[in-house]
Amino acid sequence: MVVKIRLARFGRTNKPFYNIVVAHARTARNSRPLEVLGTYDPIPKPDPYDPSGRLHKDIKLDITRAKYWIGVGAQPTDTVWRILSYVRAVPVPCVPLPTRHLP
Amino acid sequence: MPPRLPCSSRRPQLLLNSLEQASASSLAPSAALIPLHRPTATSSSSACPTSSTPRCFSTTPARSETKMRREFKEWLKRNEAMLRRPPGETGSAAKPGGTYLGSDGAYHPFPNNSYFVSQPVLSERAHHWIWYQVMVRGQPLKAVSAQHGVDVRRVAAVVRLMEIEKRWEKENKPMATPYARALKNMLPTADLAPGEGPFEPINDIHVHSYTMQQLFVPTSESRQFTRADAAKAFGEHILPPDARMRIPELVDYERDLAKGVDPKVARDKFVKATAESERALAAKLRAAEKEAEERRIRVQTDRFEFRIEQINSEEVGPKGRARNAVGWRYGVPHMDRRRGEHKIPTSVGM
Repeated sequence: MVVKIRLARFGRTNKPFYNIVVAHARTARNSRPLEVLGTYDPIPKPDPYDPSGRLHKDIKLDITRAKYWIGVGAQPTDTVWRILSYVRAVPVPCVPLPTRHLP
Repeated sequence: MPPRLPCSSRRPQLLLNSLEQASASSLAPSAALIPLHRPTATSSSSACPTSSTPRCFSTTPARSETKMRREFKEWLKRNEAMLRRPPGETGSAAKPGGTYLGSDGAYHPFPNNSYFVSQPVLSERAHHWIWYQVMVRGQPLKAVSAQHGVDVRRVAAVVRLMEIEKRWEKENKPMATPYARALKNMLPTADLAPGEGPFEPINDIHVHSYTMQQLFVPTSESRQFTRADAAKAFGEHILPPDARMRIPELVDYERDLAKGVDPKVARDKFVKATAESERALAAKLRAAEKEAEERRIRVQTDRFEFRIEQINSEEVGPKGRARNAVGWRYGVPHMDRRRGEHKIPTSVGM
């Protein structure tokens, strides 16, 4: 069975929070995974006492374990691929640019 | 007989008006006098013009003012000047409760309820004085706290709020000054003037529930059984009071005074010790922040900055359910579904 690195959605309504998990592809989304590699908070937050108002997103990740799982053939989903590419665990994805519709 | 409901003062007039109309138009004035379950058209339209106003069941006009109320108003008129006087303006400086009536040496806004105690708040002058000592003269927070008997957390909060206030003044943000002034006028305030005494107890320690039990610990007579030993007897993780108080430097200060050291010298030593302890705490916090920053990778994208903190995913405990393990936990109820959990935060994070 394929082992995937994917996101498991926790949190509340309108307040998502994801565990970055290693799990078998056919198991349920929130079932107990093989391993929790980290978390991903998709809600952008400003820094307290920062007047610029720039937003950031928090991710926690075990990079060593992520590299190990990729080494043994685990397949990251698109979102996880993007996250892993930030820490050079996988090559940067070649995302096709969206077709620009001229009015 | 239906129960009498309180009527407004204008209602009898309305009733009379309807009575006049009814008597003029019809030969049955009693229909308007005694409101029925099914009111006549005239009484319903004029006595109770809108459906939202409550209907009046009583035909006797309500007494406009009782004797007690009239006497109360007379008393108010007599004592108006006293009630309008701001707390610290006249000779009532020794009176602790600001405009409180029966303040017989206690902060009781309601004289007949001795259990309702309203504590004084720091005045604007006290706020500014604390801010000046910390931010301009560079005094350590603990020293300012000990000098005026204000809790060190309150000192820190005052400094933070004053900084925000000053920033808002620079940014020309509107401030609710009249509101603050009105509140301060009503409450008892403390100016932290030299003769005022301490504002609140500052060095209280939390009583751990482990230390509430009675223990019999056999020791040899020759052994020195200290507070640290007593704490250890109560539990391995119980700290002695000396380690739990907020300003332990005060102990050394008092010891110096008892030894007969010059108060000024002892005070200087105390300020130096508190400054040193605060410097050490700041260094510790900076080191922790630096260490956290080293574990963090910042990735700038065109929309957001991603902050990736490196963790060890194998620190999950023997059963994989450690409380401090990273991520949402599996196989345990959510925090807000458990009994006895505080859902409202009990402290403000920085």
